[in-house]
Amino acid sequence: MKRSRNPLKLAAVWILFGALVVRAQAAAPAPPPEAPAKAAESIVEFHDDLGRRVRLPAVPQRIVSLAPNLTETVFALDLGARLAGVTDFCDYPPEARTRARVGGPINPNLEEIVSLHPDLVLATRVLNRAETVEALDRLGIPVYTTDPRTVEDVVASVRRLGEVLGAKARGDALATQMQQRLAGLALRLRGLPLRRVFFVVWLDPLISTGPHTFIADAIRHAGAESVVNVAQDWPQINLEEVLRQNPDYLVFAGEHQDDPQATIDSLKKRPGWSSLEAVRLGHFAVVSDALDRPAPRMLDAIEDLARQLHPEAFAPPAAPPAAPSPHRGLD
Amino acid sequence: MRPLTPRRLLLTCAMLAGILLLVVFFSLKFGTRSISIYDLGALLFRTVTGHTDQVSSDFRLIILDIRWPRIVLAMIVGASLSVAGASFQALLRNPLADPYVLGVSSGAALGSILSLIWAAQLPGATPFGAFAGAIAATAAVYFLGRRGGELDSYALLLGGIITASFLSALIMFLMTTISGRELRGMAFWLMGDLSTPSPVATGWLFLVLVLGVGAIYTTAADLNLLLGGEQEAMHLGVDVVRVKLVVYLGASVLTGLAVSVSGAIGYVGLLVPHLVRLLFGSDYRLLIPATALGGAIAVVLADTLARTLVSPTQLPVGAMTALVGAPVFIYLLRRGMA
Repeated sequence: MKRSRNPLKLAAVWILFGALVVRAQAAAPAPPPEAPAKAAESIVEFHDDLGRRVRLPAVPQRIVSLAPNLTETVFALDLGARLAGVTDFCDYPPEARTRARVGGPINPNLEEIVSLHPDLVLATRVLNRAETVEALDRLGIPVYTTDPRTVEDVVASVRRLGEVLGAKARGDALATQMQQRLAGLALRLRGLPLRRVFFVVWLDPLISTGPHTFIADAIRHAGAESVVNVAQDWPQINLEEVLRQNPDYLVFAGEHQDDPQATIDSLKKRPGWSSLEAVRLGHFAVVSDALDRPAPRMLDAIEDLARQLHPEAFAPPAAPPAAPSPHRGLD
Repeated sequence: MRPLTPRRLLLTCAMLAGILLLVVFFSLKFGTRSISIYDLGALLFRTVTGHTDQVSSDFRLIILDIRWPRIVLAMIVGASLSVAGASFQALLRNPLADPYVLGVSSGAALGSILSLIWAAQLPGATPFGAFAGAIAATAAVYFLGRRGGELDSYALLLGGIITASFLSALIMFLMTTISGRELRGMAFWLMGDLSTPSPVATGWLFLVLVLGVGAIYTTAADLNLLLGGEQEAMHLGVDVVRVKLVVYLGASVLTGLAVSVSGAIGYVGLLVPHLVRLLFGSDYRLLIPATALGGAIAVVLADTLARTLVSPTQLPVGAMTALVGAPVFIYLLRRGMA
């Protein structure tokens, strides 16, 4: 008797298993977004930066951001109150720290995201993985992905996000303000020679930035150009090459900002580095890590960098700037 | 050793399947959101009986649409890698053989990456690339491991380690020189990642798992004879060339497909067959199904730990298996030398 029971048990297990596998496959078409009570609310449709069609409520109320720059942008649009979840890396503005955390941008916790009941998830193409976007898609959660690659793209992206989040007027105002500040900066820097800079992403090992990154474009807007011209985005650079290029300035952002003086002092003592002209002349520029965040705050960092690289353009008597910057309040 | 009877085979498998069901149940229970055992039981019962509409949509989404597909993938990947490990151990007559240690996983990873670079738009390119990479790496290790016409245990292991590090270097080279946007997140994938299973891939993988394990199982009796030596097996009437080819292709397919969906999850293929051998003996007719179930149990456990230990942040599941697997490997190696 015992013998005949066991194969049955085994068969039952496998049938159950098979049924559930089939079930998992059947889940492929996204289930309708939950809470049918909200159906009365109007639904709008957008094409995101990846060209995907995204259907979302006209005024999304529970937003989850999967990237620090998007978190900053939502707050800059005065919509921080609607932000339900952010990543572990979203540290600005400080208020972002009070939101629920959903893990890192590369491997966010889907369960955590779902339990926040978002009506919109914001993602970037650079920081997030396509797999995450697809998985959220299957779960019926709308994902809007941005992909700004230049400073101008960020301005356009801010305008667009205002529209997507149902705050078109604020998005337009913020984007226009950013445009004015960029125009003002360009006016100040007009006719000045480009500073040849070496941007230090990481010191040990020495990593810089290629010409196609967002940082490289931000540097161009600050009246400078990177001496690194290779195809990769984050190349490891030989110190010999830095010496050969002999940059006017070394630029540090973010990580090294904590104690820039210590970094600079240590560089002065390092063989090789100490013979670099920029090091001997003390030509270091230190800016906030906002320089590498495609969000409105990047303008502060760009202006800050321009001021350090071209002090003559900002010399007193301070002419009224071409564009007043009410946005400075964000600092 | 007790002889293998159909009854013992079924009892062992039923017991392992029971443990697997238990592990799956608890893996469904644990996560960022807690759910009581009663609620989970009710949810599963309603789902199996087709009354999904009575389930709270929140739990349905989290348990059935997030945790369950991930667990299914973990089971399939675990079973694939373990059976592949057991097969390589028979093929190379070395108890330390494992897709990860032998560099077969690295070959599959390199194959996937190359297929992403050259043929990202072709459907099925990644699993095929991974399969081709696994086959090539196995062949390379096989020839590196031969000394004087015989497979040498140490030459084989060294060959595998060297192949793995060479292929890893190639992967690093590709990842630093090619700034293709598709390669982003790849470092994470290389550590083993089960977090975003696609239902289509899972379905295919299940099919291939059944076919691959089935093919290898048809050679189980011959594998037992082969363990005593190729010459001896040949004298006993085993078609050694055919058996080795089936096992070689089957194990490569299983490794390639597991790696293409989940990255390199190491040491499962080493640990699980070894434990199964300790517990149930080394008869391949029992070893193969028991290893498949054991591998499923091991990877579901490892992935449950990976996603709950530092929640909401998730660890790569490959790190979890290596943390346990590497010390055991050293232990086995030292014991083998003593």
